[in-house]
Amino acid sequence: MNGNLAGEHQSGAMQVVMIGLGEEKFALDAGLVREIIDPVPVTKVAGARAFVPSVINVRGNVIPLADLRIRFGMPQLDNSADTRIVVIELEIDGEPVLVGVTADKVYEVTEISQADVQQTPRVGMHWKPEFIRFIAKWREEFVIVPNMERILN
Amino acid sequence: MSAMDPTEVFRQEASELFEVLEGALLDLGQRPDDRELVDSAFRALHTIKGSGAMFGFDKVASFTHEFETAFDRVRKGEIKPTQELISVALAAKDYIRTLIEDPQSTDDIIGEAILDDLKRFVSADKPVAPVAETPPLSPAESKQVGWHLYLEFDSHILRNGSNPLDLLEDLCKLGPCFVVPVTDGIPFLDEMEPEDCYLKWDVKLHAACDKDAIDDVFMFVQDEMKLTLSPLAHVEAPAPAPLFQLLDEEPAPIAEMVVPMVEAVAAPVAEQAVAKAEPKSEAKPEPKSEAKREERGIATVRVQAERLDELMDRVGELVIAQARLSQLAASGSDLSIKMIAEEIERLASSLRDTTMGARMVPIGSLFGRFRRLVHDLSRDLSKPVDFVTTGEDTELDKTMIECLADPLVHLIRNAIDHGIEDTVTRAANGKTEQGRIELAAVHSGAQVLVTVKDNGGGLNTARIRAKAEEQGLIAAGAVLSDHEIHQFLFHPGFSTAQTISALSGRGVGMDVVKRTIENMRGSIDLSTRSGQGTTVTLRLPLTLAIIEGLLIRVGEGRYIIPLPAVEECVELTAEDERSRGRNFLNVRGNLVPFLRLRELMAASGAPDRHQKTIIISTGETRVGLVADQIIGNHQTVIKSLSKLHSDVTIFSGATILGDGTAALILDVAQLVSLAQSKVEKQHINEAA
Repeated sequence: MNGNLAGEHQSGAMQVVMIGLGEEKFALDAGLVREIIDPVPVTKVAGARAFVPSVINVRGNVIPLADLRIRFGMPQLDNSADTRIVVIELEIDGEPVLVGVTADKVYEVTEISQADVQQTPRVGMHWKPEFIRFIAKWREEFVIVPNMERILN
Repeated sequence: MSAMDPTEVFRQEASELFEVLEGALLDLGQRPDDRELVDSAFRALHTIKGSGAMFGFDKVASFTHEFETAFDRVRKGEIKPTQELISVALAAKDYIRTLIEDPQSTDDIIGEAILDDLKRFVSADKPVAPVAETPPLSPAESKQVGWHLYLEFDSHILRNGSNPLDLLEDLCKLGPCFVVPVTDGIPFLDEMEPEDCYLKWDVKLHAACDKDAIDDVFMFVQDEMKLTLSPLAHVEAPAPAPLFQLLDEEPAPIAEMVVPMVEAVAAPVAEQAVAKAEPKSEAKPEPKSEAKREERGIATVRVQAERLDELMDRVGELVIAQARLSQLAASGSDLSIKMIAEEIERLASSLRDTTMGARMVPIGSLFGRFRRLVHDLSRDLSKPVDFVTTGEDTELDKTMIECLADPLVHLIRNAIDHGIEDTVTRAANGKTEQGRIELAAVHSGAQVLVTVKDNGGGLNTARIRAKAEEQGLIAAGAVLSDHEIHQFLFHPGFSTAQTISALSGRGVGMDVVKRTIENMRGSIDLSTRSGQGTTVTLRLPLTLAIIEGLLIRVGEGRYIIPLPAVEECVELTAEDERSRGRNFLNVRGNLVPFLRLRELMAASGAPDRHQKTIIISTGETRVGLVADQIIGNHQTVIKSLSKLHSDVTIFSGATILGDGTAALILDVAQLVSLAQSKVEKQHINEAA
């Protein structure tokens, strides 16, 4: 992760996929994103932790479907025409793991530049600071770059 | 052709040779007069030496050479292979193995000590002259007769990495040689296959060496050449020094031209041949060598294990896609699509069987490893043990074989250490002095049974019980069947051994064995008869990749129960339904605890009116699972759950159904223990 950050800082820009969860916009590091798919039928896993409530079939692989809204304490919306699943690849305990993330809307693939990075404010946040890598400004809006490893561990 | 590291290839090859060598040495301990065994041990040694030198393992080559030299006297029948000699030979084998696998971890001194031991055993009367180091002939010896050799190699010999010139050089080390290449086999340039060897050699060897020494030189290639050997009728004055000396009659330039050419070809081919599974045969080989090549064809092709795993994954995906196609075709009315769907179904299932077959390896390769273990243990504990294996050709998925090694080591150690009594006790009980351990594998339906059976004292049920009470696992005086008491052996940290030996007694082991076996979706059974021995039976599925499953529906969700665990399906009667608090089912007079899957899965929606119960079992414990509907059989391609769901224990994996949705596979062992802990809690509540 650190090496990754350094690379981004050198080039000054970071490719991100901008997604919407509830009222908020989140920027997922485009390097993590494998594909974006339409909603598929989910299979509930009894006894699983609330933020990974189910599994889905993506091209013959059974992968967990995470719900970031639960991690950020947001209300869950029903699937709409805009709902998508963003499949990302993460390292969990040193092993690559594919995880699906439900997004209420996927906006675009874009760049946020180093200059737009804001320090995460210590106060005035109702989310756990460890879930947030940093906050950036994009088109006069604040977007959150989440720390997916922390959120899913 | 992949660029494999040649050293890695050598390591792999060597480890196979070590198995052969070890097997032969151990057999030799029992049948010291078997010439075949001596020869096979010697061949293995020789190959290790040769390839070791080829790949730059010089220490291995020189040590093995000494080993071989010492062992040569056994081969010549001059000395008998005694138990002591075999033990030293085994130690020497281990030393070579360390030299190859982890040269840093060992020291030359160890090697020297082993060699000294070896030499002491073999050179009781006279020192053995190493064959390959025969000194140059002294004038006195030159009167002795030499040999006339005619060498005719198979034309494809270069492709296997052998270089005839090296062999000739080796031959020259035995004594002065006159080597004449026979060039009449060389075709015209446009017919020449650059990778073929067309030369033959006529050699006069002026040395009084053994026929064996000459055979030794060609040991690697003896199947691929014709060697005509005749004693020299009369002795010409031996040439003093040169290794390659051409006879005057032969025009020198030709021979000189030919030699570098062969060399140039031989080198790259030798490198390639390691990775090459099968040579392409474009040349016109002689009929004899063609027959040989066909034999090679039926033999084996080395495939990297990961490739087989990938193949299995692809086949799994194909089976899933095929299920979707069949479903689609069945719902439509297009006859031609239905026909294609059926055709693909047939192909997919035969492809699945073939792929699974390709991953199967005989369990004998695993059994072989334990002979050494038994040999060493029986020596260390001074308990003579007869180790019998049966069913070595029983085939199992290769990943299962790897997983089985550690559990079996534990079981065999236990059998010798705890099972087999010492010789005095055995004699007192009227048993033969020698104990007996049987390791057997046999197919039984879709399962493989692996049993470890000893004829020792059997389990001491009373002592296990006392220990369990002492550790607070059961209340004193609780009524338990022997079978239930034996289950405590699988508890972590449970040991009845009064003393802790280096081998066992710490109570780590049986729980690990049980966990490993259950992770493979297998089960473990114990049966024992006091004074007559113990049998541990491992029941294993044939493969880890695809299983037969029973598809059920609970609320909205669908789940798979591994079919081998299913005993029967019954309807939940109104009477059972009423007894909400008890959660017991009356199955033909037996009380079986049951779990309501609807509650366990937090299913939504109204339950079906007629609830079904699927009775599952592990060993002797039976548990009922109540579901809404039993859908039917399902070929289940197992996908593991990700790390994010590793905290969920009631599912062992997932699969993909015909309509593309994922379904979870129930973990039978977990459900059974869950049901039992519920029952126990109920007992406690009732008692309170």
